[in-house]
Amino acid sequence: MSSYLQPITSKTKNNGCTKFGVLFSLLLCLTPDVMSQAKGAESAANSNSEQVTFVRLTSDQYRNTIHDIFGESIEVRGNAASTGVREAGLIAVGGRKITLSALELESYEILALDIAEQILQPSRRNTLLGCTPDDDALADQECAEQFIGAVGLHLFRRPLMESEIDSFVAMAQSATQTLGNFYIGLQAALVGMMVSPDFLFRIERSVANLESPGSRHLDAWSRASRLSFFLWDSTPSPALLEAARSGTLMTESGLNQQVEQMMTSAKIEDGLRAFFADMLAFDRFDTLDIDANLYPRFTKNVEDEAREQTLRTIADQLLIKELDYRDLFDARQTFLTPALAALYGVPIPIRQELGGTVPWVPYEFPEGNARVGLLGQVTFLSLFSHPGASSPTLRGKAVREHLLCQTIPPPPPDVDFSLVRDADNPNFKTVRDRLAEHRSNPTCAGCHTLMDPIGLALEIFDASGVHRTSENGAQIDTSGQWAGQNYEGVSDLVQLLKDDPTLTSCLIQRVYSYGTAREPNSAELQWLNTTHAQLRNEGVHWRELMQRISRNPDFYTVPNSTEMEF
Amino acid sequence: MACRKAKKTNRLWKFVVSSLGWLVIALPFTPLLAADNLETRGYVISMVHTAAYVDDQTCPAGTNGTRPDVLIRRVMSEGYGEEEAISIINSVRINGGRDDAGNLVGTAITLGGGASYTGDQSWNDFDFNPANVPSAMPDPNAFNATGRFAFGLNLDGEEGPDSWEHPNTGARGIDNQMWRVLGCWDAYHVNKPVIPYNESIAWDTAVDAMPAWLISISGEDLNQDGAVTVTFDRALNIPLRDAYGSIMSGASFAVDTNPRSHNEFNGQIKDSVLTIEPGDFYIQGESQFYPHLQFFNTQLRFEMKDDGSMEGHLGGYQPWRDYYHYLSVRGETDGAIDLIGIFYDLKRFADASPDPRTGENTAISSAYFIEAVPAFHVDDTGSLLAESVGQGPKFSGPAVSQYTEQ
Repeated sequence: MSSYLQPITSKTKNNGCTKFGVLFSLLLCLTPDVMSQAKGAESAANSNSEQVTFVRLTSDQYRNTIHDIFGESIEVRGNAASTGVREAGLIAVGGRKITLSALELESYEILALDIAEQILQPSRRNTLLGCTPDDDALADQECAEQFIGAVGLHLFRRPLMESEIDSFVAMAQSATQTLGNFYIGLQAALVGMMVSPDFLFRIERSVANLESPGSRHLDAWSRASRLSFFLWDSTPSPALLEAARSGTLMTESGLNQQVEQMMTSAKIEDGLRAFFADMLAFDRFDTLDIDANLYPRFTKNVEDEAREQTLRTIADQLLIKELDYRDLFDARQTFLTPALAALYGVPIPIRQELGGTVPWVPYEFPEGNARVGLLGQVTFLSLFSHPGASSPTLRGKAVREHLLCQTIPPPPPDVDFSLVRDADNPNFKTVRDRLAEHRSNPTCAGCHTLMDPIGLALEIFDASGVHRTSENGAQIDTSGQWAGQNYEGVSDLVQLLKDDPTLTSCLIQRVYSYGTAREPNSAELQWLNTTHAQLRNEGVHWRELMQRISRNPDFYTVPNSTEMEF
Repeated sequence: MACRKAKKTNRLWKFVVSSLGWLVIALPFTPLLAADNLETRGYVISMVHTAAYVDDQTCPAGTNGTRPDVLIRRVMSEGYGEEEAISIINSVRINGGRDDAGNLVGTAITLGGGASYTGDQSWNDFDFNPANVPSAMPDPNAFNATGRFAFGLNLDGEEGPDSWEHPNTGARGIDNQMWRVLGCWDAYHVNKPVIPYNESIAWDTAVDAMPAWLISISGEDLNQDGAVTVTFDRALNIPLRDAYGSIMSGASFAVDTNPRSHNEFNGQIKDSVLTIEPGDFYIQGESQFYPHLQFFNTQLRFEMKDDGSMEGHLGGYQPWRDYYHYLSVRGETDGAIDLIGIFYDLKRFADASPDPRTGENTAISSAYFIEAVPAFHVDDTGSLLAESVGQGPKFSGPAVSQYTEQ
């Protein structure tokens, strides 16, 4: 069982920070007033440290963290985290504005109880605990302190303060006395830690930047967390925490060394997957409801496999083949399962042993096939469709907003959609006809002119992503115009899209925002523009981009309060 | 009602011998890859069931009912009155099949799967399961199907006193003695869109675990009339289901390279109807459905549809003892039949392949409804053997009876 947990004690002196972690106090902590009081209390005690950002762990980050700390054998049976809100194009940015509802907190507690029970079951406890009580029925303060200190370092991503350790040890002892079992007592303390905001939220703290008077940057522990969740979508490794503890992470060489080591890990794929799942709005899968009556091939399995197809393809092309980001949009190489292949209408080699798991096989769509790149995949096509019909508008809007970082305003409140929805209208057989009529209204034309042409090129794919050539008996026309240039179909369109510098500048900006959980300020935008200009010529390669951002000291700088949105 | 048409040559025996020879020789599998000028279309069989057709002439004296009716008749045959028999059957789950005096009435218990039970199978004073030795029981003389019409194929090219007329095409000389055996059992006494109950359930179960059955058609232009080659093969993978539970069109199947389930026929397409020249047929299945299907003098008539699918009838002379074995494995509960009655009727209506020693016919003419949807066929290296052409029907396969009325 591979885990970060080492039987070490990391007990630091209480510097006066507010205690979190006790279930009862947690509810109080989440109210804005109490939160600011906590922040104020800490500031009063230590003028050099400020809490600046609270970002809730995503469900994947929660799961990855538990697995990294306690081992893959610990099952995370549930998902307590709600999807969150999208802001500036990313859930990661919206994540800093999320609090916890009472129901979610209850869900976290249930999840934590299950996990704690697994961690402390007899087959695991000796490995993970590192000590054994003299008597299982009695409290053992030394052993409890050792475990809580070691676990707390990883759960809170910083050493626990003495008062925090004392509090959790007291909780464990109280439970042990009541329930007559040392391990059940520890479970109570572990659950307390796992429902603490210090675990559920990435709480970033800033300190004065001595090299740049007047500015502040993340402290070493927060820097470790930001880097780790950015690159690996998980909690910092022991090596990274050690670099934070020793202070080397705050030096240029120390930071570069850690980044270099982290880039060689297979976990870099977790980070890539998490980013693209966010950027490409995979949260829409949570509410995706393609009508099975109209699209019977779009089963739940297909939905799950489509999601995996997209992430697997991106990982393969950006990490293994080390292709340019732009190549994602006209690449013909992907991976398919039997069900996906049936939906795409292509044959694949079958090497599945009977009763085996779903096999993924590499597949390359032949030249001339309309399936090119991410826009031709079921994921994009279905996520941006209506349950019962494709939507050029939703698809076009998605390209504008998710891939080009543009903003399309919402429709006016009095807009009449009846014609657009009237798919059986004999006078407007195709959605192109209906949207053309819709755009004859000047109020609608402004935005639809931006969205519809892109989506109309994708109309050869229905709401489930199945290829088609006609709608209501009428031939589908996929031609259009992009930035003043004509295109005949999706293959031409993606070439024009690739040539548009907004495609790459958007990616770079989104990656940066994803890492900082906020929109870049003016200074950062300048750095991003310079970086974009360089990478656009050299190639927008994932590893290079992640390294540049991770090594950039500004990535860890805390904007002054006038630039913050608190 | 007995019908013994013992005039067929003993081709079944030859077929068995030749099949064994195949296994021993294990000829290398020859892919069905057509020459450059040939088009090959692939299909996966989405539904198989007994070709059922009923009208008011089929069972003029009534049907045989279903499982409770079988049990009631058996109990009555032991001397109980109908009312008491019904009472015993109705309370069988409570009292284990005892009469008012507390006597155990063995015949109140459904015969379980014959081949699946071993050891003491006490049943009405027998110390064995009569499903295994049906001749130990008297013939219950079940009703048999009669009338003018039934589905099937003219297997012998002749029109005889026992042959039927096809209700749709009007073809005469239809050989389907199996229908006489099954047609008056309620489980089979149905017309589409209803499917024979027990096969519907069995196929619905088997299809998620059984390697698929494949069909390919090769010819110069399959949109035109002309000569074709038709194959049947077993796949190495199971079919996929769509959101309706139907068999998904356009899926890929690896063809089993073991030649035991490879069948090849010369055929032709005329007016979008596919037929073949008679030949032997064997394909391995699974026991949830049929462990295998085996015919000699096999024929088929499939209508090729605009959506790329096919449906029609496949038939031939089928070894009836094998068939009885399939049913007895399923047992009377799943089959909703009287195994003993089926045994005697199969024996009675068998119409081909006489045993050279006893003279008893060992095969019975039968016909199955087949539906097949477009599918890709690949070999074990992933090379394409047959194209999937067409989107297929909206509904096909096990759930079809739920939807075809829409």
